Amino acid sequence: MRLDFLETGPALLVEENLRVLVAGDLHLGIESDLSRHGLHIRSRSRQRKERLLSCIESSSPDLLVLLGDVKHNVPLTSRQEFQELPGILDALRSRVPITLVPGNHDPGIEKFFHEGEILSKTGALIDGVGYIHGHTYPDPSLQGHLIIAGHHHPMISIRDEVGCALRAPGYLLAGVDDVCLQFPASSERETGETRVLFIPALNELAGYDIIRTAKEPFSPLSRCMKTEQSEVFLADGTFIGPLGSLEDHGDADGA
Amino acid sequence: METQTALDRRVQDCIRARGFSRLSEIQEKAIPLVREGRNLLLVAPTGTGKTESAMIPVFDAMMSKTGGGFCTLYITPLRSLNRDMLQRLEWWCRELGLRVGVRHGDTTQTERRKQALHPPDLLITTPETLQALFMGKVLRKHLANVRYVVIDEIHELAGSKRGAQLAVALERLREYSGEFQRIGLSATVGNPEEVGRFLCGARDFSIVCVPVTKHLEISVDFAGDSFEKQAAWVSRAVGRHESTLVFVNTRVTAEALGHKLYHRGDVEVHHGSLSKDVRIEAEERFRSGSVRALISTSSMELGIDIGRIEHVVQFGSPREVARLVQRVGRAGHQMDAVSRGTVLATGFDDLLESLVIARRAKAGQVEDVNIPLNAADVLANQVAALAVEYRELSRQRIRDIVGRSYPFAVAGNLVDEVCTQMAEHGLIRIEGDMVRSGGRSRRYLSSNLSMIHDERKVVVFDMVARKTVGTLDESFVVGFVHTGAVFITKGQLWRVLDIEEGRIIVEPAKKAKGELPSWEGEQIPVPFSVAREVGSLRRSRDFSPYHPGERPLEFASRFLVEMDRNRTKVPHDTLITLENAPEGVVCNVCAGHKANEALARVLSILLSARYGTTVGIEIDAYRIYLRLPSSVKAADVREILCSLDPAHLEGILQLAMKRTALFKWKMVQVAKKFGAIDPDADYERISTHRLVEIFDGTVVQKEAYRELFSVYMDVPAAARIVSLVRDGAIDVVVSPLSILGAEGLFASRDQISPPAADQAVIGTLKRRLEQQEIILACMHCRNWKSRTTVSRVPEPLRCPFCGAGLVAVLKPWEEPLIAIAKKKGKNDEERAVAQRLLRNANIVLSGGKKAVTALAARGVGPENASRILSTLAEGDGFYREIIRAERNYIRTRRFW
Repeated sequence: MRLDFLETGPALLVEENLRVLVAGDLHLGIESDLSRHGLHIRSRSRQRKERLLSCIESSSPDLLVLLGDVKHNVPLTSRQEFQELPGILDALRSRVPITLVPGNHDPGIEKFFHEGEILSKTGALIDGVGYIHGHTYPDPSLQGHLIIAGHHHPMISIRDEVGCALRAPGYLLAGVDDVCLQFPASSERETGETRVLFIPALNELAGYDIIRTAKEPFSPLSRCMKTEQSEVFLADGTFIGPLGSLEDHGDADGA
Repeated sequence: METQTALDRRVQDCIRARGFSRLSEIQEKAIPLVREGRNLLLVAPTGTGKTESAMIPVFDAMMSKTGGGFCTLYITPLRSLNRDMLQRLEWWCRELGLRVGVRHGDTTQTERRKQALHPPDLLITTPETLQALFMGKVLRKHLANVRYVVIDEIHELAGSKRGAQLAVALERLREYSGEFQRIGLSATVGNPEEVGRFLCGARDFSIVCVPVTKHLEISVDFAGDSFEKQAAWVSRAVGRHESTLVFVNTRVTAEALGHKLYHRGDVEVHHGSLSKDVRIEAEERFRSGSVRALISTSSMELGIDIGRIEHVVQFGSPREVARLVQRVGRAGHQMDAVSRGTVLATGFDDLLESLVIARRAKAGQVEDVNIPLNAADVLANQVAALAVEYRELSRQRIRDIVGRSYPFAVAGNLVDEVCTQMAEHGLIRIEGDMVRSGGRSRRYLSSNLSMIHDERKVVVFDMVARKTVGTLDESFVVGFVHTGAVFITKGQLWRVLDIEEGRIIVEPAKKAKGELPSWEGEQIPVPFSVAREVGSLRRSRDFSPYHPGERPLEFASRFLVEMDRNRTKVPHDTLITLENAPEGVVCNVCAGHKANEALARVLSILLSARYGTTVGIEIDAYRIYLRLPSSVKAADVREILCSLDPAHLEGILQLAMKRTALFKWKMVQVAKKFGAIDPDADYERISTHRLVEIFDGTVVQKEAYRELFSVYMDVPAAARIVSLVRDGAIDVVVSPLSILGAEGLFASRDQISPPAADQAVIGTLKRRLEQQEIILACMHCRNWKSRTTVSRVPEPLRCPFCGAGLVAVLKPWEEPLIAIAKKKGKNDEERAVAQRLLRNANIVLSGGKKAVTALAARGVGPENASRILSTLAEGDGFYREIIRAERNYIRTRRFW
């Protein structure tokens, strides 16, 4: 299996028998929610669509997996979403078959998708790789596979000696504990280690410090991951090191 | 006398009843001009009867008019001034049978309703409340009656965005009332012509100037550099006069001095952080004579009447000539009387600066008021106001109205730019040439009547002790504080755990390297002109034009002699000295705060680009302190300073500022005034970092830069220093650390981060590789192997058994390969392994430590390592090659 890190998405191309393009957490409609909270910015959905289209362009995938939270507003669907979603999804469909693993922001998304495009929110196995949004316990069929998950919007902060930081979206790979994930203890299947790869949000306004996710996990996957075996990458695939290497050096040096 | 008898009888009676036997000089000059209907700027020190000069002819004219109210607007910058003005003008109005009203933020609803129904003839108000008047239909109707607008303390307003907003408001007013007569009352400024333009736009006007300076008697004294001695000096000075006003520069000093003098029982403290009641009480006790001294910050500078002041003490340098003139002008307070003031200097810089400022004050060399031109956020605010006022109007009409005001007279296509941005965030709607108010316009306007940024306070809560530590300014929180950040407050280090609505959760932190920014907004900048003259005084050492007393002269001479004795050069206006200090380099540059700020940031970004390190900066009026790693020395700074091109400063600064907390904070402020962010917005929804990117390249960003480069720093002045260095008119030398270089309290400031974000990535990579565990195996004797880390590998690397340099570098999980390589009788696969190890060792032999480092990287084997080494990349380039190789490996590795 090959992974291509598409920095412009950010998105991920998973290549085995199929070429699967994965993008998570579009949160289309976020602007109308921000506006309700006092931040008025013009909708940037068009740019997000274009970033995604350019990923499709450059990677010519066989399938686009949207990893949940395509829309933003819950429980109601905003006018912005009604206006923007059909056009954007059609633009994607016209280039590549699409499929959705629904996320926690997706109630009401059915009306925008065609029959058969929506998979289970507990995840699906495609071409040997598990795909899940990441707010639920994963389906047992994902056990022993690499599980690609959204929902966590990983952001990476890097500090130098003086303490100023680079903040950028990134990826986190970690092993996960099968028992903790409530996978049935099945003996006969040939299981590799179950691992999870958290992917960054395509929505550029979303982002959550990865260290905090590790310290205060808020989902089954983040609670069950083995942080000591973790690996962190930037959006372009640059290997940063284990999660522990991101700790504040300003403090760690002299302590 | 003639002037007086020409007035309405009732006004003449009032003048007599007020106890004026004759008109003052300024009144004699001003009254005929106002009666002629001319627009007028009156420049005179406080207490020379400026208000009366303006109001006597206005009252006179009002007597002959039967208006429906709002005949005259009297606009002052402060509510507290309104209160005072009301008391003074109420008497006149009562005697003359005119109705007077005051309207500002504190005015009750009942009073407001009354004013709408029965508008007073004279309305005393603030610029912000004037904005509110345009919002009411009834009030707008009354505005049509306005014949006179008097702007008090116009010098205070002209230099700010509040003033720019007011200038537009006057043009909006004219749409209802037609042309009205404009009268501005100003303290002494360097550029009265321009302030007149600010008042009138392109209309004709006259200036009546009463030179303040001939009435000033200013001396400078020195009492030692300990606060104890200085406080004792103030105490003695207070004892020598009936009534003394003591000005200090910061609230902290006010409190400290108040504490020291409290035991006297006749001293009160007066500053902006005290409650209104406490302040009014202090003013009244002073006026009635029950206290003889008031210690005050700038809160007492403006014309609040507190009775006769015999002597003004300025504690520490006043920093600006205008400030000294204004402050000492408070003394005497009777026309023609001489104002007496003494500056108590507190140190060497402070003393020279005080002498220079005192000389300039006496010579009438007051600073110009810096009028902000084309402030885009003010324009946005007024476009929204116009849209609400008219529901819809053409952009041409907007251009006409704002274009009559001086601050927007040459605005180019700023109106269009601003409208486009506002339509983008949905504050107004644009259809063709028409601008219409949008759904949010009215709500925006009611919460943005003022151009003053109101700072929210954010509570800091200590998670461990479970108690509130204190509060931080919103600006600080927005620009700097994020989860994991470490900052200092109450003298302790804290780490941010969480940011909630209006609250930051922290835990005590152990340590943080580098300085952390904090905004102590009370620093009054020393202007370029003053700092240059201080420099020239340091050079000539000729104190005679400054008439110092015995103690100041002795102290200054002693200081200079000590500099000479230490063989340290005294930096001056044509000599910049660079001194190596323990944690960086002190650059002694006599250029004032704002020019030094610009220069420091330029140096810091260039140093940071060249040496790939973060540079901390601290500045004052005479020095720049660059916090640098020990490898960067004064000579390196000299090289960069001497190669600067003055034309490049602004471009460099745009890059430099973009990443700073200050810029982010400014952007948020401007975006708020643009209506893109509500005053009560929940910032935690989105990081400021992202927010700043959203406004990249927009007029919002342009305005943030404009303000930074004109208000927070002085780029043209910095460019002048740079060109003087270039022309050789200023020498730059490296000199040992001197008592002058080390003097001064450095406030902690912003840091500039290295140019490319990848600097941080490379830093992380270096650290990771150095700590990487590796196994060394000799491929010559094949009898030695050792487990170590990259950082501990000796240079050159030799096998301790056979002394050969043919050592392979393996990752810990490759250890079994060594046994394979030693095997006799290998199969094909095993032979390949042995070959790879030999190749590995060969690369180490030829590439040395660099090869060891490369081979320690993720997925870098002999092929990749030799490719990386063959690029001959050095330093950061070398690490970038490693990053590239690792990225490639990760993309393609098998175990995904």
